[in-house]
Amino acid sequence: MPGVDVTVEVCGMAGDGTIAAGGMINDAMSHGGFSVLGFDSYPAEIRGFGRCVTRSRVGDREIRALDEATHVLISLNDEESKSRVPVLTRDCVVLFDSNPPVLVEEDRSLVAILDPETRLFPMPFGDLAAAAAGTQRGRNLVALGGFAAVCGADPELFREAIRAKFKAKSQSVLQANLKSFDAGYAYALEKFHDRLLTMFASADLPKGPEKVMLSGNMAIGKAALDAGLKLYFGYPITPATPIMEYLARELPKRGGAVVQMEDEISSIGAVLGASYAGKRAMTATSGPGFALMTELITHGVMAEIPAVILNAQRGGPSTGLPTKTEQSDLHAAVFGGPGDSYRIVIAPTNVTECYYYTVKSFQLAEKYQTPVIVLTDFYLDNRVENVPMPEAREEDVRDGNIYPNVSAGEPYKRYLRTESGISPRSIPGQAGLQFTATGLEHTERGKPDYSARNHMEMSAKRFRKIQGALADLPEPEEYAPDGPLSVGVIGWGSTFGSALEAVLAARERGLRVGALKITSLYPYHEAAIRKFTSRCEEVLIPELNYSGQLISLIGRLCRKEAIPLNLATGEPFPPSLIRKKIEELAEAGAQ
Amino acid sequence: MSREHWVVIGNGPAGNAAAVTLRKFVTDARITLIGEENIPEYRCNLLPDFIAGALREEDLFCTPIQRFREMDIKLRLGQKVTDVAFERGELKLAHNEVVRFTGMIIACGSTPSIPERLGMFRDLMLPLKTLGDAKRWIEKLARVDSVFVAGGDLTSLCFTRALLALRKRVMFMLCPDSFWPIPLSSEVRRSCSARLEERGVEVLDCAKIENLTRLSEDSVEVKTDAGSLVVGAVGAFFGLVPNVRFLARTGLDLERGILVDEYLRTCVENVYAAGDCAQVYHPGIRAYWVSIGCPNATEQGRIAAMNLMGGSLSLDVPQENIFEVDGIKVNTSWWMEL
Repeated sequence: MPGVDVTVEVCGMAGDGTIAAGGMINDAMSHGGFSVLGFDSYPAEIRGFGRCVTRSRVGDREIRALDEATHVLISLNDEESKSRVPVLTRDCVVLFDSNPPVLVEEDRSLVAILDPETRLFPMPFGDLAAAAAGTQRGRNLVALGGFAAVCGADPELFREAIRAKFKAKSQSVLQANLKSFDAGYAYALEKFHDRLLTMFASADLPKGPEKVMLSGNMAIGKAALDAGLKLYFGYPITPATPIMEYLARELPKRGGAVVQMEDEISSIGAVLGASYAGKRAMTATSGPGFALMTELITHGVMAEIPAVILNAQRGGPSTGLPTKTEQSDLHAAVFGGPGDSYRIVIAPTNVTECYYYTVKSFQLAEKYQTPVIVLTDFYLDNRVENVPMPEAREEDVRDGNIYPNVSAGEPYKRYLRTESGISPRSIPGQAGLQFTATGLEHTERGKPDYSARNHMEMSAKRFRKIQGALADLPEPEEYAPDGPLSVGVIGWGSTFGSALEAVLAARERGLRVGALKITSLYPYHEAAIRKFTSRCEEVLIPELNYSGQLISLIGRLCRKEAIPLNLATGEPFPPSLIRKKIEELAEAGAQ
Repeated sequence: MSREHWVVIGNGPAGNAAAVTLRKFVTDARITLIGEENIPEYRCNLLPDFIAGALREEDLFCTPIQRFREMDIKLRLGQKVTDVAFERGELKLAHNEVVRFTGMIIACGSTPSIPERLGMFRDLMLPLKTLGDAKRWIEKLARVDSVFVAGGDLTSLCFTRALLALRKRVMFMLCPDSFWPIPLSSEVRRSCSARLEERGVEVLDCAKIENLTRLSEDSVEVKTDAGSLVVGAVGAFFGLVPNVRFLARTGLDLERGILVDEYLRTCVENVYAAGDCAQVYHPGIRAYWVSIGCPNATEQGRIAAMNLMGGSLSLDVPQENIFEVDGIKVNTSWWMEL
């Protein structure tokens, strides 16, 4: 029996309730036991105009990426939905408003450009909502009712999702929304009784732990709380703002504080100050804000102050594409800033990793006394996945600082040159210790010293320290059969899910291919990467940037020139594009 | 000069023939074919064979959709025309979309007729006009052993043949309505009955249904002017009426169907009608007649298209008593392959 793998889109104008409808599809299907990956695309402007699209991939097995083909489109605004036609499957199900308030000209009509094989389900969304609840505001709920009926989803799952969504609202609001949903459900059942589908009926759902819907941003916020964050300093910016919003709500309950600063420079400055004082502190930003932070990040490197900085990448450079995804800050994260300012850069690839890597970043920052940059992107931050609720272990949140042995009797040197490069760290207030922190090059005792020998030795110490962090950084993970591979795909960040889907699909077609996931971007595990690339005939590195930033970082570890596959479309990487390239390379290699 | 946009309403044999003919001779015009059903053209005359299990569903379909893509004919399925403003060259679809056109061929077919006095029993009777109807019959026949057929048109006779192949008990009531426009004479009644009985059909000596009562999901009591009986299902074959209601106040000349001359021209310039929905003027008898049957519809679609492109083809004069089934000449209000 074929499994369930359905991509559902809701498309409308800002204000149509598009994002809310998509969220309820995610919640309902997740509650029904399906795997769900959802992603919203919305305009950069605040409200009132612009296209909103939610995409939800629902399946009965693990889902790692969005599929580019859409099987069901719920159109809340036909003109906006026209842009979605290229991604619709030919036999796509389309639910649309059959009674829009004004006549639609053919050249502005969605239906006019759909393929004749499209399965159309016209429903008077607004009329049904008005009849059921006295207002057309519930037309998105009517559409959801139609979707549940037409596609064979359990309506009770949606009712539960609606109750959860509107639990904080008045009873009358909840009832109006439930009535609108029921009106759409009943209408579709009757009107389309001879065309109803059973898209979700064949699901063979695996039993497993209870799952929750989490976005990357939510996972990061929860991770920071669980890791014992005390202070968050930030300045709002898409796509990182939801982290600040979440923490502003939750952190005070745990005795912490969120402070909105006047800009990103002051944000990172405050984080360094709090960390210097021994408190766990972080900030989250995106490309433009990260650029402003650069100088103070290098100050953290030089003064050896812990800091956790989340860079939620978006399309750039400059203000760029605020609500589009990209992986183009890798070089800025690894190399950005003056001097040899090595720092730790890690990049989760899914929502669960967003949690665990954020938790880990606090310990890493403390132990290695350095800024740790967690690199995510718009797609990873805003997508939702249903996952078992991540929980940090006690040892993951434990204090990572290596404190000086004050009983040794020797004078304390804040920047002691050790074999590991880690100097035991003093916290202001500890008796008998000094608390120097300086951005000037300095001696072991923290006094300014610009001599050639000292700069060489201290640069080497800092470099050694960061390289030593590899012992605590996650190893690359291989998803490959033993032996030689015709093509090996190396992925990072949100692109890895697409890469793995592509590799698994290619393998199902009999190709001998594998994938390597790299989450430690600096420092990186050279030996493990070489071990993988040495058995690949070709190495393919897909990235959501124009220039191929990872390939320029690790390309030298391939035995022959790695092949870039770059997209700068602002959209998530389509697995099919990677699969096609794999097949092309495998075919060329076989000839 | 603006590009021609020719719209064909109806995805049956007449509409498809019209669209294909238009494209065959004119490559640069926009051609849109609008059909109410959600599926491409199929051979509705083969539905009884599909019900009998002699054909698979895919065998019913005529032209693959890919062919329309190749011919650059815009196929709009599952969409219903609700109004036409000929003076402005605009039509309106059910979902409030306006489509502008420079020429039109109306081939919107017909729909099963239910006599007004039986309207309240509509839910208890199954027609056979569409693939959806056929599927409902297949579902029903899997559960019932007996069928009451009210009819006499060609569809009912072909359907009866399918029922017999499925070893169902068939009770048949010959209805005068089904024989329109020819009166059901006693001679036709006698010969029809004899033939049906030869095949094992029980021809009932009654003329009208007085009442229907649902006894259970698969059981209906039929009360006729000659008594009552209980059957598993009731088939309604009272003939067809052209689907022209949406044209009622558009300025087109309508009677039972759309009135056209022998060139299939309507009273509006650049607007033609073909197939079941057209009443064609017969210069010989100086009256209108209704054309039926797939081949006729296809031919009319072709002629309408040729004339829309500037031709002057006229329709051949029809014969009297066109159809012959099992040796019986039958005047019918529906179609068949000759």
